[in-house]
Amino acid sequence: MAIKSPLHHIHEKLGARFTEFAGFEMPVMFSSIKEEHLAVRTSVGLFDVSHMSNVWIYGKDATKLLSLITVADTAKTGAQQSQYTEILREDGTIIDDTIFMNLGDKYMMIPNAGMNTIVVKWLNDQAKKHKLCVTIEDVSREYAILAIQGPKSRDTLQKISDNDLNSVQFFGCQYANIAGVPCIISHTGYTGELGFELQITPPKKAEKVFNAILDAGKEFNIKPIGLGARDTLRLEKYLMLAGNEFHGGRTPLEATLGWTINWDHDFIGKQALLKQKEKGTFERMTCLECVDKGIPRHGCEIQKDGKTIGIVTSGTLSPCLNIGIATGYVHPDHRAEGTILDIIIRDKPIKAKVIKPPFVKKDWAQNHHQLETFKTQ
Amino acid sequence: MTSEIKKDLRYTKTHEWLKVKGKNAVVGITDHAQKALTDIVFVELPAIGKTVKKGEELCVVESVKSVSEIYAPVSGKVVSVNKELEDSPETINTSPYDDGWLVELEMNTSAEVTSLMDSEAYKKIAD
Repeated sequence: MAIKSPLHHIHEKLGARFTEFAGFEMPVMFSSIKEEHLAVRTSVGLFDVSHMSNVWIYGKDATKLLSLITVADTAKTGAQQSQYTEILREDGTIIDDTIFMNLGDKYMMIPNAGMNTIVVKWLNDQAKKHKLCVTIEDVSREYAILAIQGPKSRDTLQKISDNDLNSVQFFGCQYANIAGVPCIISHTGYTGELGFELQITPPKKAEKVFNAILDAGKEFNIKPIGLGARDTLRLEKYLMLAGNEFHGGRTPLEATLGWTINWDHDFIGKQALLKQKEKGTFERMTCLECVDKGIPRHGCEIQKDGKTIGIVTSGTLSPCLNIGIATGYVHPDHRAEGTILDIIIRDKPIKAKVIKPPFVKKDWAQNHHQLETFKTQ
Repeated sequence: MTSEIKKDLRYTKTHEWLKVKGKNAVVGITDHAQKALTDIVFVELPAIGKTVKKGEELCVVESVKSVSEIYAPVSGKVVSVNKELEDSPETINTSPYDDGWLVELEMNTSAEVTSLMDSEAYKKIAD
């Protein structure tokens, strides 16, 4: 039986269609994936992401434990800062990617949907093994999580916030009052746009915040956004989806997440990564933009001269670019920028070009706006 | 969500419509189907001359998140396809019964048409 979000009844009222994702029944779309997607790119959208997990980590050795189990040097993440990182096995493969927030007295970690049990067990096992004095609490179902994303997200949220949101730096986090409800706010997201995420407890209080945000965003034509657009938004910006991109055991080096690794500290998986780095030749996540018409999907083969060289981990039609886009692991010999590869869609090869990430560049909305203005003149 | 159902067409359980034009038949997807699929962003049309049996895959329609096969309501040979859809697949959303038609078939036999639902029968499954 899939778990329903604490906001399920609100979504029903808003006409959502639902999907099951990682054991949760969540809205996949409210009006149209394309419309929702473009609302976030050009203005603002509101997401319920309560399916994500929440874990408190505190005690004398909390920083030590986090440093040990992630590729980030946690000592460098100061109070009111958050950090994107990965948790690795000894062999260097990714268990989960996550964000943790340093809230001064304790850390809150946000593992992926359905990953809380695995991550909490891993944390407890490692704490015990290394004799660390730390408390780990799985509070995933005690929190509702909202994400407000898009160029108008700050303007929308500021109207109902007691905090000056300009003081929340990129990847900053703090306690706040939104619509009179105490919550944790962070300047983070999964869309590549300006955005914030709110952790709200108890979950029933999220309804008030959700409605207040929709109300405050009316002047910007705010839209509630489902998981469908969440997926297309993140893929256009080359943000990883754990279940797709790390499936089968992939290292951060393979996933081109080397930039998240702090090599100056010891962490589980480091030795394996150093070995892989030394070896040098291994498959890496690669961005493919379709030249021919067609929409690559998860599982499609990537070929060069009729030989399979990889599998599409994520693929979609890019609502911004209106072309097929895909990611997949490809050997270094075939991933130089501009290389033409084939993606096999229903037994037919569709030409696709290796490009530098992300698919949708930073100035897209601005250029899009100029183009739209030009069209209407 | 009520959808439009045309009186002069025949229907399948898989939400295709068929319009008889002499020995030929025009095929598309119903208003109910386009609403369920939402934004149609890609259409893969069959080659002219391809022969299909009733119930076989005729073409593919994709939305941002889904891939849907469209089945031949009757057996026949593809004589014409709506090429316009390759550049503007969204026409299926805006005009599923007219400009959004998919394929014209030359029917093997018109006898198969009678096995398809009329508008009254389709109404019962399209809600």
